Amino acid sequence: MAEDLVLDTAIRNWVLVPLSVVMVLIGILRYFVSKLMRTFQTPDGKIIKEGQVIIRAKNLRAAANFIPAKSFRARRTYYNNEENGLLHVPKGQAPNQAQMFSDPNMAMDMMKKNLSMIIPQTLTFAFVNFFFSGFVAAKIPFPLTQRFRSMLQNGIDLSTVDVSYVSSRSWYFLNLFGLRGLFSLILGEDNAMDDTQRMMQMGGFGFDPSKSLGAEKDGLDIVQHDWVLPKFEQRAEAVLRKLAK
Amino acid sequence: MVTKLDEAELKRLESQVEHGGGGAWEYLTLVRKLKIRRSDKVLKHGLSILNDSKKRSTLADEEWTLYEQVAIAAMDCNSIEIAEDCISVLSKKFPESKRVGRLDAMLLEAKGSFEEAEIAYSSLLEDNQLDQVVHKRRVAMAKAQGDLHKAVGCLSRYLKLYMADNDAWRELAELYISLQMYKQAAFCYEELILAQPSVSLYHLAYADVLYTLGGLENLQTARKYYASTIDLSGGKNTRALYGVCLCTAAINQLAKGRNKEDKESVDLQSLAAAVLEKDYKYRAPSKLPLLTTTLKNLKL
Repeated sequence: MAEDLVLDTAIRNWVLVPLSVVMVLIGILRYFVSKLMRTFQTPDGKIIKEGQVIIRAKNLRAAANFIPAKSFRARRTYYNNEENGLLHVPKGQAPNQAQMFSDPNMAMDMMKKNLSMIIPQTLTFAFVNFFFSGFVAAKIPFPLTQRFRSMLQNGIDLSTVDVSYVSSRSWYFLNLFGLRGLFSLILGEDNAMDDTQRMMQMGGFGFDPSKSLGAEKDGLDIVQHDWVLPKFEQRAEAVLRKLAK
Repeated sequence: MVTKLDEAELKRLESQVEHGGGGAWEYLTLVRKLKIRRSDKVLKHGLSILNDSKKRSTLADEEWTLYEQVAIAAMDCNSIEIAEDCISVLSKKFPESKRVGRLDAMLLEAKGSFEEAEIAYSSLLEDNQLDQVVHKRRVAMAKAQGDLHKAVGCLSRYLKLYMADNDAWRELAELYISLQMYKQAAFCYEELILAQPSVSLYHLAYADVLYTLGGLENLQTARKYYASTIDLSGGKNTRALYGVCLCTAAINQLAKGRNKEDKESVDLQSLAAAVLEKDYKYRAPSKLPLLTTTLKNLKL
């Protein structure tokens, strides 16, 4: 067991506290900058319509057995026929990534989103690396296993230091992902958005509506229609029998 | 959707506000959030806030939302002057706003100058094809003028875009029924059943339409849907009970001479008749003879 390291109080005053304050301030700054750059997106009629078609087709698939066979078949043809069915996407018409990028508005929006996310992150990381690298900044009051070493002691390559010591760079990461609660206090419930969420949003780009249309179409194609209403007559009888008694 | 919890909260706030316990703004916010129609109360309490400059200034930006809410409520209560005042305040604050433009058009509509309102709505729609409120206002206006065919046209154009809007489908079904276009109405009710298969009222309405259409096949289907209404409503729906009896009688008349229906359905209608009799005995004994003669006339 290595002896306890004594952390200089100057480290607290000049590394730990300033780092946290900087992170909070940057978070707030970023919120206001992104608010400035936000553009009001007018929804696209085609996308709305496709969403609505999908909802309606899903309803049809889920409740197909509640309408007569004739009505079901008529609807399926309406959605799925090869000429002008609502769910039928002609080949080659599906929008691809390249087209999306060629739309200047979309590219612009993407750029803005990216800018407000990547630039401050790189800058803060560089800033932290430059000023605060290599410190053991804090000690957490409970012991941890070796697995946490890469999480808590990023930037220090010493295997002998106890895992409960936190390096400055790790403190930066902890702040980056852990300040959401604080932001929701400062900026109001709905405005806090942490970086993990932002990253998820990034992943959502490139969503292809024609794919979900196609999937819904295949789903509808294999639905076996089995009208449940005849069964309801017997069930109604049972209900009435109970009431008539 | 208005949940039970919301409703209880609304009732609590409403009685609190009515008895001078304060909380008017909270009440108005809730009404707005739940999108319910309490125009008289909104007008009364909203105005009391707007007329009090101290209370008004505590709302900050929400003040304009309140103006809009009160304006709409005032039009609903035919207090045109109040609506005019609110809208003029808003248009001074937000000149050339589409949202205020919508209010202007609604004001024209409320005054009864439909032609001008129509022009205003059309120009709003040209700017934004996707405006649900304007689409719906046009339908309502056509209905107010008694031009049901135009209302149907507007509504189907709206449904082409927003085809998952159940309320619109229901409205369209009712319009078709008033125009006696039952096949189209049946389609709308099918759409509603698809969206919410467990709502017994849609089954009932669909069965009514099918029964009205007539023909052996439709009558048989109608009886099945009356049966499902009985099942889904637990036998509490008198109209569905009558429906089963009427359908069976009509089917018997049509199928006379041909091979009889299966025995089970006979059970269903006699049971429905029995339940009807029991219900009448319990709730309206004086009307019981009427029922018995009706059922006898149906030859059940």
